[in-house]
Amino acid sequence: MEFFNSHVLSILTFLPLVVAGAIFLVRGDQFAKIAALAGSILTFFVSLHVWHYFDASSVKVQFVESYVWMPEFGIRAIFGVDGISLLLVMLTTALTPLVILSLWHSHVANLRYFLGSIMALQTGMLGALVALDLVFFYVFWEAMLIPMYFIIGIWGGARRIYATTKFVLYTVVGSLLMLAAAIVLYISYYRQTGMYSTSILDLYNASIEPRVQLWLFGCFALAFAIKVPMWPFHTWLPDAHVEAPTAGSVILAGVLLKMGTYGFLRFAIPMFPVAVKSFAPVLVFLGVVGIIYGALTAWVQKDAKKLVAYSSVSHLGFVVVGSLALLADGTLSQEALTGALYQMINHGVSTGALFFLVGVIYERRHTRMLEDFGGLASVMPWFAVMLIIATLGSVGLPGTGGFVGEFLILLGTFQSSPVTALLAGSGVLLGAIYMLTLCRKILFGPVTHAENKALHDLTPLEFAYLVPLAILVIVMGVFPDFFLGKSKASIEHLAKNYRSYSLAVDAH
Amino acid sequence: MFSFPEITSSFYMTAAPILILVTGAMITLLQSVSRRLGSRSAIEFVMWVTVLSAIAAAAVIPGEQAEHLAGGLLSGTMSRFAQVMILGITAFVMLIVREHHTGTAFFRGELSSIFLMLLSGMLMMVASDDLVTLFVGLELASIGLYVVIGYLQPNRRSQEGAIKYFILGSVAAAILLFGFALLYASCGTMRLSGIVANLPSVSSHGWARLGALLTLVGLGFKLALVPFHMWAPDAYESAPTAVTAFMATTVKVMILVTTLRLFAGTFSIMAEVWYPALVVLAVLSMIVGNIMALVQTSLKRMLAYSSIAHSGYMAVAVCALSSVGSGLPVRAILFYLLSYVLVSLGAFGVVMALETPDNDQLTIDDLSGLAKKNPWIAFAMTVFMLSFAGMPPTAGFIGKFFVFNAALNNHLYGLVLIGVVGSSISLFYYLRLVVRMYMSEPVAPFGALRVANPGISLTNALLAFSVATTLLLGTALPGVAMERLVRTSADVLAKK
Repeated sequence: MEFFNSHVLSILTFLPLVVAGAIFLVRGDQFAKIAALAGSILTFFVSLHVWHYFDASSVKVQFVESYVWMPEFGIRAIFGVDGISLLLVMLTTALTPLVILSLWHSHVANLRYFLGSIMALQTGMLGALVALDLVFFYVFWEAMLIPMYFIIGIWGGARRIYATTKFVLYTVVGSLLMLAAAIVLYISYYRQTGMYSTSILDLYNASIEPRVQLWLFGCFALAFAIKVPMWPFHTWLPDAHVEAPTAGSVILAGVLLKMGTYGFLRFAIPMFPVAVKSFAPVLVFLGVVGIIYGALTAWVQKDAKKLVAYSSVSHLGFVVVGSLALLADGTLSQEALTGALYQMINHGVSTGALFFLVGVIYERRHTRMLEDFGGLASVMPWFAVMLIIATLGSVGLPGTGGFVGEFLILLGTFQSSPVTALLAGSGVLLGAIYMLTLCRKILFGPVTHAENKALHDLTPLEFAYLVPLAILVIVMGVFPDFFLGKSKASIEHLAKNYRSYSLAVDAH
Repeated sequence: MFSFPEITSSFYMTAAPILILVTGAMITLLQSVSRRLGSRSAIEFVMWVTVLSAIAAAAVIPGEQAEHLAGGLLSGTMSRFAQVMILGITAFVMLIVREHHTGTAFFRGELSSIFLMLLSGMLMMVASDDLVTLFVGLELASIGLYVVIGYLQPNRRSQEGAIKYFILGSVAAAILLFGFALLYASCGTMRLSGIVANLPSVSSHGWARLGALLTLVGLGFKLALVPFHMWAPDAYESAPTAVTAFMATTVKVMILVTTLRLFAGTFSIMAEVWYPALVVLAVLSMIVGNIMALVQTSLKRMLAYSSIAHSGYMAVAVCALSSVGSGLPVRAILFYLLSYVLVSLGAFGVVMALETPDNDQLTIDDLSGLAKKNPWIAFAMTVFMLSFAGMPPTAGFIGKFFVFNAALNNHLYGLVLIGVVGSSISLFYYLRLVVRMYMSEPVAPFGALRVANPGISLTNALLAFSVATTLLLGTALPGVAMERLVRTSADVLAKK
């Protein structure tokens, strides 16, 4: 127990990888399913431990572990969570068992490799979230691509190879520039202090020339913008989503995209505060364009999955706008930042549910075209209930988590720039239009296709992975404080002090 | 005038690996006169004894720097590192060729003898401070390689490759020799360390500059830096794969170690002469190598162009040597070299595991659907490709990190940018191979490939070794490896 307490984050990070290793080594899908489910649930429990013992009143990074990795270069393996990463860690660990569950009766070839890849991917995601060393973070950030590459490329749709190659190439181009920028940062820290360190806890304190900051921020922001994805770097996303298998889409939308917005909060903003001032208008502009462009494009989609994919572009635009709402006194708007973080989680939950639901009807009909459906509400009432809950969460109806997030973002943005808030607000309206169009076309009206009359409603298994998400959508809307309470201090710290940011380590 | 240098016991310690190899070469040559003594097993036995004892001897080369034969032979950590590495590669290739269809041809008396002799040339070159010894070592290695390429499996293609390599290699050797001659003419000494001492007074001298440039061109030829790369794709493709694997790795070790000795020490004082030229070579190699690799259909040609690109990345780190006294680039090069060697051996090992006598020119399409037929080989190849592409958690990533680090530390922003572009391009063709293996259906009947026994075999064990070290160097061990390389690199840094 002593060991567990002092290594909880490394256990959390590498437990899924160990499970993945076992799955790859032991033959048989049955073992793989049980191991993956048990492993992911166990991981969830470990993360609950972290959640429970996390001291919400402190802005320090907690559960810190630090190991020597490349001593010559001052590169360490540092684990730690603060209020910002904690929520995303929880999202990851909560979503993964559901994804595994959704594959329980799947008939895809080589299911065990699929499950193994998901578990390996989980290690990548968790590692990127808890790493507090730039190089260590980068390893997870890039390694995350490999399982996703296989998930889309092997188990995806007809154009999967095109989609997966595009996904990886886009991401890597951005990442490599980020790597170069990280090295420059590391070298300038060395020149200032005579000490090699890639720990971001140290690098926060580096004072970098404003001109250099612009370049470095640009490189970091490009990598994150591609990952988010922000308009105009979003073109990989619809392809990846359309071709990815349902489970892949859920993880991609649910967690992977958040890595980009998380990157802004953890790295780009606090490390290059001077550049934030110059870049914020540009990024906010791109975010607003993304909100409106994503919404309008989603509106005209005929493919339900593509519609949900474009809705992600729009929703993530909100997150970016919320992360960079500069107030007149030079601080970031705390409300907007809170909303942005909350919106990341909401988007993970409601869009995850939407992708699951599209998967449900795709499995039955082998089509995702909206015109092939209609009137499903009478045939599949429970499906209709779930879809409506997920939709409401996505459009941000009061009483769902989406409302809290979007409201806070707009509130904060309005204080920063009313015009931006107005434009972004139009995204909420457009969101309601395209999402309700989706619902209408799938659920309501007469059943126009004979095949649709005989569709069976949700199976117990489908309930098992949809109900938790539906509950979360509502609980997050009704009790936001339960979730945001853990992050309040950290967000306030970032919003107020990002210009002289530092994170202290909680000695436990 | 000239006095014969005194021979001490530490000379024998240092020269032991070379002497052992030459002795082994003599024995195998004599063995081939008798049918019984010249049998495959007898030759193999003698070769193993020779190579293993040479490894043992190289591993105990004294770590402190000392010179013997008036600088002809150097002991020290760098000599030891390079010799052990070259001999280790040899052992790997000898093991993997045993299960390959060229195995019987490989362990023939005369071929083994040439092989051991060329090895002794390589060991000489990496442990020399003297231009003449260096050149003799290089030629011994090169001439041996020409022969082995054409003679292991004599057919039109391999002989064509051998001739091409021979002609271009000889041109390169001539250029290098001319460079050495000019250096001698302007500095009055054959010793690298002597050149360091004499150069400051003559660095404005045109002949010394030309000598340094010609030396760079000669080394560029051997490293296959664009535009001196023409021989590489043909030689790689037409040589029997065991020789390709051997040549692609050992020649890089041999030339890079020499490059480090020359550029980290001797030439660092006239960086302004060779630096612009080397930048051009590095940029061209990264761009041309990666773009040409993109359009290849033959697997070995693709690996050849990819190795040109990797030479380009290493050249970036060599550029970073232009500022005196920085150990960073030297360590970066050594680590990159280590990971490149491991991964290349693995990748060519995969090629060897799949080749048959009828189909020894694999195309990329031949690998289609390999994951279904032989998941292990496909997995191993994936790890190697990811490492080549510099993706974590492999050694290739750490290597790239160190190279970028060394370059950025010297403000080589443009070179790193081109490296980034090159890496992105390279990802495309490395991943294409992964796509073929995992995401495509077999196009040809699979009988065309030797799908090695998925159980325990020597080939699989060697691939497992490569995979394990590639992953370990990318995750748990880079710190440990780097610590060793720091000690190794201290040897070649400019002494002030």
